[in-house]
Amino acid sequence: MKIPRLLALWRRSTESLLRAAAILTLVGLALMVWSMLDPTPLPVMLAMSLGQVLGTVAFAMYGIAIWKDLLRIRRARRDSLTNIPVVSIPVAPVAPVAAEPATAPKTREQAAP
Amino acid sequence: MSSDPFLLLALATAGISTTLIIWYLVRRPVLSRLTKISLLFGIGILPIATATNGNVAGYHATKTTHFCTTGCHVMTPYGEDSLDPGSLSLASRHARNAAFGEENCYSCHADYGMFGTITTKIGGLRHVYEYLLHYHSMPIEESLVKIDLLSPFRNDACMRCHSTENQLWNQIGDHASTREQVRAGTVSCASEGCHGFAHPFSKAARRRVGVLP
Repeated sequence: MKIPRLLALWRRSTESLLRAAAILTLVGLALMVWSMLDPTPLPVMLAMSLGQVLGTVAFAMYGIAIWKDLLRIRRARRDSLTNIPVVSIPVAPVAPVAAEPATAPKTREQAAP
Repeated sequence: MSSDPFLLLALATAGISTTLIIWYLVRRPVLSRLTKISLLFGIGILPIATATNGNVAGYHATKTTHFCTTGCHVMTPYGEDSLDPGSLSLASRHARNAAFGEENCYSCHADYGMFGTITTKIGGLRHVYEYLLHYHSMPIEESLVKIDLLSPFRNDACMRCHSTENQLWNQIGDHASTREQVRAGTVSCASEGCHGFAHPFSKAARRRVGVLP
């Protein structure tokens, strides 16, 4: 497979990759089951060659899809931690409070009943 | 369909895998952790198990007489002769032996030795290649004349059972006199004058067209 095609595969959405992988697996499984139910040369050879190639490609596509999804989750988590928006909140001016007369704090003995 | 445990296991894993995949395709669930694990089984683990068990089951299937004689039409007369209870050909007499069972073609035509199975299977692929490219449309009568073994049948296959060491075997004059040639493979057990051809009808067809005297 050429590199541009691999890139095109990478660009596909996770869902479409998984759907394609699922369908390819079904085709591969159908070939394998055919060879088991009708063990004559053509089905057996198809199952052992094409069937297994399809299965391997499907599993690779599944791996790519899951890898992409993990990257997306990681990116989203990183963004949520680093890109915290800086918001300036206007604070209303505080009115000055009249100073109370200073009183000495009570000792423990004084406070006790 | 046989009751090969590998076959049953392969069919079971294929069934479960198919169920999981169809569930995913029809329900289209959100890609949660559960969905990913289900698909790991449906697309990865179970199909690998199917392929592994299917390969073993397929390997067993490729050893059966049914496989040898039903896939390629040119093998039909060999299969019919082999399964004919009235035939006196060397192949048929051996096929009636329970030790050969359903694998009587493979028992005699498989290579001997550590890698015999592998070389036999590679040889089998060569047969399929030749059949598809050259003999696919050939009439059976013509195939009996034109198709031949790639190399002469080796006595090693006979000597797996008939060791040539047995006292009874050596008491027979023809055996004793040709023992070294039989072991060296210069005299074939399956030849005219000894035990006769394994598939004599193919030689009869060659005589009819004048290929053999």
